[in-house]
Amino acid sequence: MPNDLWIALIISAVGTLLMRLLPLIWMQRHLARRKSQEAAAEMPTWLSVFGPLMIAAMFGVSLVPSSMTPEAWIATAIGSLSTLTVWWFKRSLGWPVFAGVVAYGFVTLAS
Amino acid sequence: MSLSRTPFLRGIYDALPLLGGYIPVAISFGLISTQSGFDVLETILISIFIYAGASQFLFVAMMSAGTPLWLVIAMTLLINARHVVYAPNIAIYLPQSRWWPWLMHGLTDQIFALSLTSLPRMPENARMGWYTGAALLAWLSWIFGTALGAVAGEELTARWPLLGEVMPFALPALFLVLIAPLFTSRIWIITLGATTILAFLLKLFGYLNAAIPLAAVSGAIIYYLIQRQDEQNAK
Repeated sequence: MPNDLWIALIISAVGTLLMRLLPLIWMQRHLARRKSQEAAAEMPTWLSVFGPLMIAAMFGVSLVPSSMTPEAWIATAIGSLSTLTVWWFKRSLGWPVFAGVVAYGFVTLAS
Repeated sequence: MSLSRTPFLRGIYDALPLLGGYIPVAISFGLISTQSGFDVLETILISIFIYAGASQFLFVAMMSAGTPLWLVIAMTLLINARHVVYAPNIAIYLPQSRWWPWLMHGLTDQIFALSLTSLPRMPENARMGWYTGAALLAWLSWIFGTALGAVAGEELTARWPLLGEVMPFALPALFLVLIAPLFTSRIWIITLGATTILAFLLKLFGYLNAAIPLAAVSGAIIYYLIQRQDEQNAK
């Protein structure tokens, strides 16, 4: 493996890990400090708002199909509706996702 | 599912829908990486250690194009910068353990979304096992898919072209199931709806890397504007 690749790989991997890990340590210290001050161990409000919004943003991004054909858009719409319908009745994780993928697959195969 | 299953197995079970999204994308990454001149071992090592989808594609593209090293690293880290808000959001649900810092390697977009909605609903002593099971399955599936793509990606995509097209729909379906229960009040309906639409439009117009953080920040601003408006109306 060339040296350049090693250097880039190690720095990118360590940097990515630190971006996932350092905020955890910061937050754990923040919570511990609040606990020692006998305050409720709550996270800052902006963070509790930000989390669900990140999921909504990921959902929005993932909705755009890789091939932007009318068939792909129709499959996306029907797949999403199927997912939502099954979720409404089952209130679980696996079955709605399965139903969405199957519906998406049927429309893709049929078109 | 049955509560008699161990938390670790429950985590694996809950993360199963992720495989539909992870494996086809990982196969694509393995294929593109080897086509860009990386060998199978190098490709797998990238997936093991960087483990961040979009940035890995950029990493191999820039490395193979001979881009200066500092720019490759800077761009890879910039794309992954959104991860800084993930751990603080779930920290309140994590019981004390010296293993958490290492387990954060598995905190991808999807594992974060799954954790944020699942961890609050389970007993504290089950959380570490659950997270470990879910994150480990996702990581191993990403490595497995990468290896498969690097070794046999061309044959796989030639033989089952539709599979790679259909399975990735598991990701939007999963995100939809995770945000659906959050539409609980007027303020959240407006904010989550606006964030989804904005992210969708940003991706549609080609701003893939900016779409998630920009849409989430805009959503947060909308949330606070509505909240302030409601407070003024209440006075």
